[in-house]
Amino acid sequence: MNITKELQPLFYPDSVALIGASANPAKVGNRILKVLQKTVKNLYPVHPVDKEVLGLPVINRIEDLPDNISLAVITIAAKYAVGAVRSCAEKGIKVIVIVSGGFGEVGDEGSALEDELREIHDKFGTRMLGPNSLGIFLPETGLDTIFVEHGDKALSGGGGIAFITQSGSVGTEALGLASNAGYGMRAFVGLGNKVDLTETDFLEYFAMDSATNCLAFYSESIDDGKLFLERAREASKKKAVVILKAGRTEAGQTAVSSHTGKLAGSDNVVNGAFRQYGIQRAYDEEEICDASKSLSMLKIPKGNRVAVISAAGGYGVMCTDYIEQKDSRIKLHLAEFSDKTTTKLKEINLPFASANNPVDVTASADDEIYVDTLDTVLNDSGVDIVICLTFFTIPAVTKDLVKKISEKALEYDKPVITFAQYGPFTNKYLKEFYDRGVVAFSSVYRTVRAARFLVERADILKTFGEDDEY
Amino acid sequence: MSINKWIDGLNISGKPDEWEVKELFRSYNISTPSGELIKPSDEFKGTNLKKPLVVKVCDPEILHKTDIGGVELNVQENLEAVISKMKILFPGSNLLIEEMVPYSGIEFIIGALVDPDFGPAIMVGAGGILTELYKDVKFRLAPITKSEAIRMLKELTVAEILQGYRGSQMDISLLAELIVSIGALVSDLGNDFNQLDMNPVVFFEGKWIALDGMAILK
Repeated sequence: MNITKELQPLFYPDSVALIGASANPAKVGNRILKVLQKTVKNLYPVHPVDKEVLGLPVINRIEDLPDNISLAVITIAAKYAVGAVRSCAEKGIKVIVIVSGGFGEVGDEGSALEDELREIHDKFGTRMLGPNSLGIFLPETGLDTIFVEHGDKALSGGGGIAFITQSGSVGTEALGLASNAGYGMRAFVGLGNKVDLTETDFLEYFAMDSATNCLAFYSESIDDGKLFLERAREASKKKAVVILKAGRTEAGQTAVSSHTGKLAGSDNVVNGAFRQYGIQRAYDEEEICDASKSLSMLKIPKGNRVAVISAAGGYGVMCTDYIEQKDSRIKLHLAEFSDKTTTKLKEINLPFASANNPVDVTASADDEIYVDTLDTVLNDSGVDIVICLTFFTIPAVTKDLVKKISEKALEYDKPVITFAQYGPFTNKYLKEFYDRGVVAFSSVYRTVRAARFLVERADILKTFGEDDEY
Repeated sequence: MSINKWIDGLNISGKPDEWEVKELFRSYNISTPSGELIKPSDEFKGTNLKKPLVVKVCDPEILHKTDIGGVELNVQENLEAVISKMKILFPGSNLLIEEMVPYSGIEFIIGALVDPDFGPAIMVGAGGILTELYKDVKFRLAPITKSEAIRMLKELTVAEILQGYRGSQMDISLLAELIVSIGALVSDLGNDFNQLDMNPVVFFEGKWIALDGMAILK
């Protein structure tokens, strides 16, 4: 059976059994029940003694559940969870999310319990997510087993990014942060201890999912590394794959006596392997969110020539420095404008403005000057990417600038990345850009870094075209 | 020569010496200097090799031979004296006599190892004795295509040397082919393979030549 069909009950269940449903608000089983209650029509809370919880009738034994339940979610303590998983498997439930902790992450006793889960999987073919998993969140349907506060309202708008994370807290914290400025998520998956379903399964699933346009992973260990890379390479031909790989291990356990062994260092091999297989790499939670957001929302540029528009000279200079900064993977260049562009920029702008790249529209600019300048540089065939630094403290600029710049940016087949800072209102402006389909950041560094991710993606797509067969 | 035959034929099981590693290189069409092996029991009877020569101790137990006087460069008329001296310094070890390659230009290193997560990997970078100081190296997984090998070379800081920097004439395409060969070699070694160094690799008379090589098997 293919993975799309196998995981259908996980993402689109007709009915869900919650093992560990509880009336006690301090329990995970209570919080998950509250969330599932809102979105799942056929919900079956299971608890050994209670008759009712949150107004829903309770089933006391897994054996007494109706047949053909799509999905079971298990929140009870590890030592009872294994028995519950077995009962669910015997009942014929095809997919089980094990939220419970207390398994391999706590030591040998927990690892033995994981072995029991693997035996159940082998015997019944039941697919398991976890244990120690946050489960899933699917904005499209509202299906949500994530029991911590993660800005689900802010993320409920949905989008194209499938976010698959080995660590629950890194995932939720990162998304909480990203949601402040807008982040379009297709799905969130917490892998946990991976007794069955791994990053490779979800890579395959979302590679085939037409609503996903970017895959983002947080990984500490990658099971069956070579297979994952090969699948990632296939996925990357159609959509961007970004990984935050943490926990950099030493290469080779044996004594290292070669130069090569010493030079492999902590994770030079990972860098090379990712590049070879069309994967882009992020190094922290902010970068993975920035990269996936940019790759999901922005057009892929044809080249690496960047035009910069700023109303503050200093920001233009900073931006130029970041663009010209050496980077062994991706080179960016400051675009050189055609004479036509320069002439037009002089016409549009005030006499003391700079009509060269970076363009300085000056603090005397208004909305119209900003937008006409953007239009002019976008029209230059020597420009592949535009970085537009917006400032709302300028007297003649109105709050309509966000709308006007966004509309102009979306008219063209080139990526426009914006920067906005406005003291305590910054996030509001970033969010408004996002809502209008434009990517914006609050620092010049992050804005230029987003351009690098786009150019790296363009390079990857180019290499797929020129590669000989393996 | 098949890999299995090479492994089975090793003088010390599982521990190839430089001569044997270079035999393996040659079977993958990788150039090495012309040379000959002298066993401890062999009387030296002269050689047809062109001087100047290099005399090296050739023993899989000695990995860093330069540090302990195990390499004598630029040997001319004094060849017999050098051999006698080496035999006293390293009793019981083989000696390797090779033609010295009068290359100019920078040295490269090509290496390979087994990554615990991803399997066999290949490295290329600035070589020679300072290779661990420069740390100008890039990795890829084996096997590797030629176009990927070229991309890998272009990521190096020294990449411009391969693209005509200050009139240098080193062939990037041939070096990429050498990387592809090493990728095939370590893939063929499979589970027997652990680590490999080819250092230095130099460009002379239109060819990349592996001047030294070591391999560690499992």
